[in-house]
Amino acid sequence: MTRHAPARSRPLCLLVGVAFASSLLPSSARASENVTVALLSETATVEPGRPFYVGVRMSMRTGWHTYWRNPGDAGLPPKIVWNLPEGFSAGPIEWPAPERFLDDGSMSYGYQGEVLLPIEIVPPARLAGDSATLAGTFEWLECADVCVPGSSELRLSLPVRPETPSPGKAAPSFAEARARMPAPSEGWAFRAEAGARAISLEFRAPRGAAPRGAYLFVDEPLVVDYAAPQGFEKTGDGYRLTAIPAANAQGTPERLTGVLVLEGRSGSTPRAAVRVDVPVARGDPAPAPDSPADSRPPVSWHIVLIAVAGFGLAALLARFALRRNRS
Amino acid sequence: MTRIIALAVLLILAPVSEGRAAAIVGQPAPAIELRDSDGKTVRLDAFKGKFVVLEWVNFQCPFVGKHYGSGNMQKLQKKYTEAGVVWLSVCSSAQGKQGYVTGPEAKKAMEEKGAAPSRFLLDPKGVVGKAYGAKTTPHMFVIDPKGTLVYNGAIDDKPSTDKADIVTAKNYLAAALDASLSGKKIEVAASQPYGCSVKY
Repeated sequence: MTRHAPARSRPLCLLVGVAFASSLLPSSARASENVTVALLSETATVEPGRPFYVGVRMSMRTGWHTYWRNPGDAGLPPKIVWNLPEGFSAGPIEWPAPERFLDDGSMSYGYQGEVLLPIEIVPPARLAGDSATLAGTFEWLECADVCVPGSSELRLSLPVRPETPSPGKAAPSFAEARARMPAPSEGWAFRAEAGARAISLEFRAPRGAAPRGAYLFVDEPLVVDYAAPQGFEKTGDGYRLTAIPAANAQGTPERLTGVLVLEGRSGSTPRAAVRVDVPVARGDPAPAPDSPADSRPPVSWHIVLIAVAGFGLAALLARFALRRNRS
Repeated sequence: MTRIIALAVLLILAPVSEGRAAAIVGQPAPAIELRDSDGKTVRLDAFKGKFVVLEWVNFQCPFVGKHYGSGNMQKLQKKYTEAGVVWLSVCSSAQGKQGYVTGPEAKKAMEEKGAAPSRFLLDPKGVVGKAYGAKTTPHMFVIDPKGTLVYNGAIDDKPSTDKADIVTAKNYLAAALDASLSGKKIEVAASQPYGCSVKY
């Protein structure tokens, strides 16, 4: 996977490479082979005492993915260790709704393409100096068929101004990131029940949403079997989603927390995501039939290709056989 | 013609239908019959009466690199095999996938790293890995002298590739073995393993 230059020419390559890379990239961006990360700010300036958002943007090469807070069967969520000016504090990473990656019976939760991970920064009420530099070490794991750890020293300097900050250049990316965040659960009704056969989540969506399927990304480990298909069905006044308990679950969880993603009726309807945090009743709910949201992704391209090739080969052989019979 | 179509249909369906299995704490550990790095057949039931550790390994995975590069895994292997525990390292990487090793390659890698498992088992077809539901490298299991699975999960509680985390981590495997060997109850009998996915 990694290409090595012959040993003798390596120092020169390295030198040229570093010079080339540093001439191209802004100070906050560092390139790994497959993932580029950058620290961005939603606002153009910092106002003392007014919280604002920064975010780590991860741009992934096709075929590579990174992870959500619960990575699923394998993987690792990204983390940041801050080095902030005195009096500043940083909140946790706020996680956009993830996607599923099913590979050889192993299910992971994460992101592909591009994702922005927003983090709230609280500056102190009094700030000396006319700029503030936020720095941090950002670490992540990137995986395709193999996994590579990545690490980057991020830096971002912002002017300090006494007035309300105006939006920065990256503000539209933050608006996009918020659209991918799970919404708070106001207007939703949830009821969770767990037993040996299934963990069941009954829900009613606001404004009569009519999902085609749904998937629950559970926050905590050892609650559900990630790779097992989830069930989904319509109930009298709402819907019911079920997940298979983890084989080695140690008892029933007190609360069920995670992100519920609804799949729209048509493929073009954007998916809706909502935060779930409900107490769990003990019972013996039955698994619901497999969710249509689950039946779609596993039809991968190689299966389609095998099918096309198979039928093509069959047609060819049939023609060949016919010709031989005639002669 | 029909036979060819039937074959094509079988080819299409084959990768979709796959059984799901797992080794469950408190239940009998699935049977093992594999060749080791010396080409000898190893069976799990031959070790009845002893505690057995199973360690899923892929020497090219950065999480495995963390525990071998720091000497942590070798230290655990030496400590517990000296205490009479049987330690089986298992490689389930399929031929052509990351981490796949032949017997001689496994021996060479073990020698270079100073690894000291009792045996190194080759599972290139993934039969044993799938029977245990091995998800990651590393993924650790402990089997008691009666053949019951008593631990399934991570090596420790600090999911990372950073060697510096080993010192401050709570080692679940060591805790499970220490409790087992002194006849105490295992406090954490299951945890979510962390690492690279097993390259079946």
